[in-house]
Amino acid sequence: MDFERLKEIIVDTLACDEDKVKPEADLIKDLEIDSLSLVELHMALEDELGVSIPDGEIGKLHTVQDVYDYLQKAKA
Amino acid sequence: MEKKRLNEILGIRYPIIQGGMANIASGEFAAVCSEAGALGLIGSGGIRSAEELRRQIHILRERTKKPFGVNLMLMNPETEKMVDIVCEEKVPVVTTGAGNPGAYMERFKAAGILVIPVVAAPILAKHLERIGADAVIAEGCESGGHIGEMTTMTLIPQTVDAVDIPVIAAGGIADHRQMQAVLTLGACGAQIGTALLAAEECPIHENYKEAVLKAQGSDTIVTGRIGGTPVRVLKNQMSREYVKREKAGEDRMELEKFTLGSLRRAVFEGDTKNGSLMAGQSCGQLKEIRPVAEILAEICRGI
Repeated sequence: MDFERLKEIIVDTLACDEDKVKPEADLIKDLEIDSLSLVELHMALEDELGVSIPDGEIGKLHTVQDVYDYLQKAKA
Repeated sequence: MEKKRLNEILGIRYPIIQGGMANIASGEFAAVCSEAGALGLIGSGGIRSAEELRRQIHILRERTKKPFGVNLMLMNPETEKMVDIVCEEKVPVVTTGAGNPGAYMERFKAAGILVIPVVAAPILAKHLERIGADAVIAEGCESGGHIGEMTTMTLIPQTVDAVDIPVIAAGGIADHRQMQAVLTLGACGAQIGTALLAAEECPIHENYKEAVLKAQGSDTIVTGRIGGTPVRVLKNQMSREYVKREKAGEDRMELEKFTLGSLRRAVFEGDTKNGSLMAGQSCGQLKEIRPVAEILAEICRGI
């Protein structure tokens, strides 16, 4: 998955402003993600990649870059 | 194929789970509810040590051989040890609230426990089904205590459509009309909390019971909306003051201090002015104190 696709999924699930989705953006502070939106994003990423992401892992990801890096590893 | 009702799934008489109300749902009360034909739940919220939970399980088992469950409040600092205890004790059913039970799922499954998380949104139900929940309790914001945003009317059909596992409705169900309604919406049964506050056997202070009976359906208020932990309680001096301070932008820690121990004050001391009298909007329908068995029979009349 490239960064643009991740950005698309984030904008889609969080209904947030596209310009805000930068690598350094913090999910909570900048994108104002709440716990239910996080679940939505979690499931959208699982569907996209066809892998299961443990609940404990998703909580460790803070920025958009963290999510991107995690997905690169998960896919490999 | 006709969907199975909750009573068939659990091997009990009525399609009802008794809500695992913190500080209220003791082993003794849960035993009464199981004996009367519902699934009695011991509420772990308010239980301070894991060993106390074990003691409550033993108290229940001395009084009934019928199926029962434990509600685990996942925010409880003793959760880790309590998970061990429900597994060791082979508790038949665990319901979970205030968090995501994902991290404990494997241990529950290995102990043969039926896991039924409480959810307030269809998306969470979908996620929990994916990680192995056996059913979900979808709780609308009509209910008492900690609540979400969606109403039972919208939450139940959307959750039923989102998952293949059974959905149990909660929030606003206190008589046979509402039970019929949630079955129509696709639920397989209901969890009942508020209606059981008015039970003869319910171990809350008489003043609390009186306040619930006196309350109109419009006499509840939601505290903590701004801070992100909404809780539905009866309007009284304390809850009104809380909401006022919250609107004025008072610091969360200060507000927390203000409510510290308030549920215990209501349940055990009967302090109706400064206690937190948790109750759902169905309080407006409750007119008299009756035995649990009568309340359950009335809710299931005609279904």
